[in-house]
Amino acid sequence: MDQLPRPLALLAEVTYRCPLQCPYCSNPLELEKYRQELDTATWLRVFEEAAELGVVQLHLSGGEPLVRRDIMELVRGASRVGLYTNMSTGATVVDDTMLKRLHDAGLDHLQVSLLDTEPESNDRLANARSFDRKRDAVLGAKKLGFPVTLNVVLHRQNLDRIGEVIALAQEWQVNRLELAHTQYTGWAFLNRAALMPTREQLAHAHDVVEQARAAGTRGVDILHVLPDYYFEKYPKACLQGWGMVSMSVAPDGLVLPCQTAREIPGLEFPSVTDHSLQDIWENAPIFNRFRGTDWMPEPCRSCDQREIDFGGCRCQAFLMTGDVTATDPICTLSPDHHLVEEALQEAQRSDPPLQFRVMSSRPVAG
Amino acid sequence: MTERPQIVHPMLAAGTRYRWDKVRDQHQLVFPEGMIVLNESGTAIVQLCDGRSTNDLIATLKNTYPGSEPADDVHAFLGQLADRGLLRDGPAT
Repeated sequence: MDQLPRPLALLAEVTYRCPLQCPYCSNPLELEKYRQELDTATWLRVFEEAAELGVVQLHLSGGEPLVRRDIMELVRGASRVGLYTNMSTGATVVDDTMLKRLHDAGLDHLQVSLLDTEPESNDRLANARSFDRKRDAVLGAKKLGFPVTLNVVLHRQNLDRIGEVIALAQEWQVNRLELAHTQYTGWAFLNRAALMPTREQLAHAHDVVEQARAAGTRGVDILHVLPDYYFEKYPKACLQGWGMVSMSVAPDGLVLPCQTAREIPGLEFPSVTDHSLQDIWENAPIFNRFRGTDWMPEPCRSCDQREIDFGGCRCQAFLMTGDVTATDPICTLSPDHHLVEEALQEAQRSDPPLQFRVMSSRPVAG
Repeated sequence: MTERPQIVHPMLAAGTRYRWDKVRDQHQLVFPEGMIVLNESGTAIVQLCDGRSTNDLIATLKNTYPGSEPADDVHAFLGQLADRGLLRDGPAT
């Protein structure tokens, strides 16, 4: 096997608490089960270990990272050990004073989520008044000199307004716009029938983005990745494979090869409270299990694509087939590919109400 | 095609940072969702992106490396950085 690569990125989900209720959240469904949170000292140690391991980019996220009272200390600590610090926020708990403090603490990049282009539609999807505060956070952050990314998750209920999203990003003069098609894990999987767009919507979206690029995006870098379920023959290389370039630490200290891996039952994940990050990266069984290609069943095992897409997304494979080692059903070579077709058809047929993200320990009915 | 205005006093854009990666032994330029590995000459140029004019930058390099003619490389490299949104124009001196 090749020499073990060192991670480039660490996703630090510092809390699952969040004032918003976005119906596509990638956090677990049974949020009340995970109220345990690491203390400040532990996170600072994790950041130090991450830097020593070779992590370049830290992504502070959650839930809503800014609800942590020690968030400034965490940002300062990460900055001090030389990590490039990014933060993803819903921005409802932030004001100009807090932005200034984040800037002084050394935060390098702010990513603000937006659900739709108008207050009414945005607030309906978040199930919380939030549009104005998001806008104010973007404008305030720009004034302070932050690079700002606007992150808009796309699905059937807002995809038709993709042109207006781009226009809004230009009006607010963000540096980057991430047009992120919903990935069906976590709450998005629960709400899949309400969120999956039509083929026509996706084709239209693609055209709108290309037209905007051709017309000149006025300083906004647009990242737009079409979802894999309609147009692709082969799946995406998810994270370049587990245990290759990134790792994720959950609020309670569990270390995951992918942030949604914990919803796969039967897998064991190590904790930062028991091991160093280096020990986990190098030795934890769950990190080694999907490195390389030896673990692959057919058709991946003898496929020419195996070192290009690594069999696709483990979480998607599990959610659709019940088998974490299965070929991602997106792949047209997967024996389970019909499951994707069925999901698409189900989404065309039905329009169920959205189930908003709430903290609950009861199993959420699917 | 994105048009970018001419940059006279190159500086790193907000949120673009040079760092030395001691784990990988390499010079890096890090920015949102990205990173470039710099070679020695790229590093030398980046470290002179402190608000001086491009002409002053070239002159400094010529002094540091006698016999060199860095102008073409400097313009090409700065152009690449500018195209990726990694530079801004500093105040006129």
